[in-house]
Amino acid sequence: MSAADSKTATKNDAPTTDPTDKKALAAKLEEDDEFEDFPAEDWEVENTDLPSGNTHLWEESWDDDDTNDDFSAQLKEELKKVATEGAKKS
Amino acid sequence: MSFLLVDEFKYLYGQEDGYGLAAIFTPVAPETDPNRLVAFYRSSNAMHVSNELRSALIYHSGGLSLSKEEASAWVEVFASYWSAIGEILLCEEMIGQGQADFANWNKAYESWRGVTTLLQRYFNRSLFPYWAIPCLYTAGKYLRLLAIKADDASRERSGNVAYSGGFDDEDIVKSVRKMEKLEDAARVMNSVFGSCANDRAPIEQSRKWGIYNMANLCFKIYFQLNSLNLCKSLIRSVSVTELPPLNQYPLSHQVTFNYYSGVMSFIEEDYSKAEEFLKEAFEKCHPQATKNQELILTYLIPCHILTSHQLPTPQLLAPFPQLASLFLPLAAAIKHASLAEFDAALQAGEPYFVKRRIYLTLERARDIALRNLLRKVFVTGGYEPLLEGQTEADRKRRTRIPITEFVAAVRLSSKASNSGETIDRDEVECLLANMMYKDLMKGYIHRERGIVVLSKNQPFPGTKT
Repeated sequence: MSAADSKTATKNDAPTTDPTDKKALAAKLEEDDEFEDFPAEDWEVENTDLPSGNTHLWEESWDDDDTNDDFSAQLKEELKKVATEGAKKS
Repeated sequence: MSFLLVDEFKYLYGQEDGYGLAAIFTPVAPETDPNRLVAFYRSSNAMHVSNELRSALIYHSGGLSLSKEEASAWVEVFASYWSAIGEILLCEEMIGQGQADFANWNKAYESWRGVTTLLQRYFNRSLFPYWAIPCLYTAGKYLRLLAIKADDASRERSGNVAYSGGFDDEDIVKSVRKMEKLEDAARVMNSVFGSCANDRAPIEQSRKWGIYNMANLCFKIYFQLNSLNLCKSLIRSVSVTELPPLNQYPLSHQVTFNYYSGVMSFIEEDYSKAEEFLKEAFEKCHPQATKNQELILTYLIPCHILTSHQLPTPQLLAPFPQLASLFLPLAAAIKHASLAEFDAALQAGEPYFVKRRIYLTLERARDIALRNLLRKVFVTGGYEPLLEGQTEADRKRRTRIPITEFVAAVRLSSKASNSGETIDRDEVECLLANMMYKDLMKGYIHRERGIVVLSKNQPFPGTKT
């Protein structure tokens, strides 16, 4: 029996003892798109408090009063044009 | 013949360690002991396994005093676990030999189903102690995963057959019933859920402590089956069951339940209720569970935009690069009142948004981008000239604005997305009327004079203060 033969033989004898195969199966049995299992059953809520608190997570207002951005400048130009056209007509 | 696992069982049972017991009955070997399943399976054979287990568990009880009935029940569970492991190892072996097609996942599923229903039966008869209920968590968890495996495998197989063999009635039937095993798992888990919900034991010894976790396992299956009706009736069952308050359960049960309840309210378009559930879930979520936080935020952000009229900050999304790349461009577009940018951002995220069922909800946020645009016209429009006797403090913003100005603004703002296609005036008037109807803009359209008359008092409500 050649060395290569014995190698394949052992492989066929005990393929399940190869830990990499196991890992692959475990991964296949865990891989999922749903909500995952947590690393613990229970924990302290205090730990999960974000240091910055809740205040910086959301913008306070979406009223954008900054009229100096590019778009506002373009808008101003556009509105001026509209206004002069309107004046010409009347 | 010795069973190390049985010895471990005896020890953990003596400690009343439910999670420890649950870790015994798993189809995936622990990382610390990768050969456990193989060793357990090879320590016996089909002919003798029951007797040997009986001997290990009953005749050499090691000081553990179980009632005769309970001991036999555990022997049965162990024996069915032993054969399930056999089927699963066989599948692994096929994969190991590069013959994944021959792995019989149906059999693996069925044998695991046997373990699950056996456990359920003896819990139902109250033969097994309440603290061992985590065994059912593990059983249920892997029942779903094995069902998915089995369905995937049969789909692949029937796909191959149909491709090579042409039409065959049976194949058509098979391909229609794509999720046969998962549907079966749904029935099993629903009944396990029921046996927790209907336990009449005093609450401190009740399987009711397992109800939320079972509900969560059901949710996962139902969502994958896309069966919202099953989800709804599950929520109803929980709500009519007399239970301890949710906050007395482990956080993993609470957070998962709140997440699924929130997603359900979201799908039913009850955004403020959804926001409550999701906020609670987000605040209590495990700090390292990034994927779960990401899932919660995926629904919480659209809710928050629509109900609280607030946009997420880059800080909030910093730990979640995928969400940041999807939501920040949308938020920026809303803030800068750019319809073109908004449309582009929505389109860029479409695959994810559709998959998560949030596309249509996000589309509603276009109204807010539009509202901000119309407000920009108002802000850019400047002030009314002062009348005689008025001072600077009396200066009022211009509230009569020609429709043509709004038309120009909408055209400018949607330029990139509608290249070549211009929006006509009627369309813009329609948008304006809609904004007024939705209370995002206060005023009326004076068609004869071609102007919009805005309310002098807060013409653009919408941002909560």
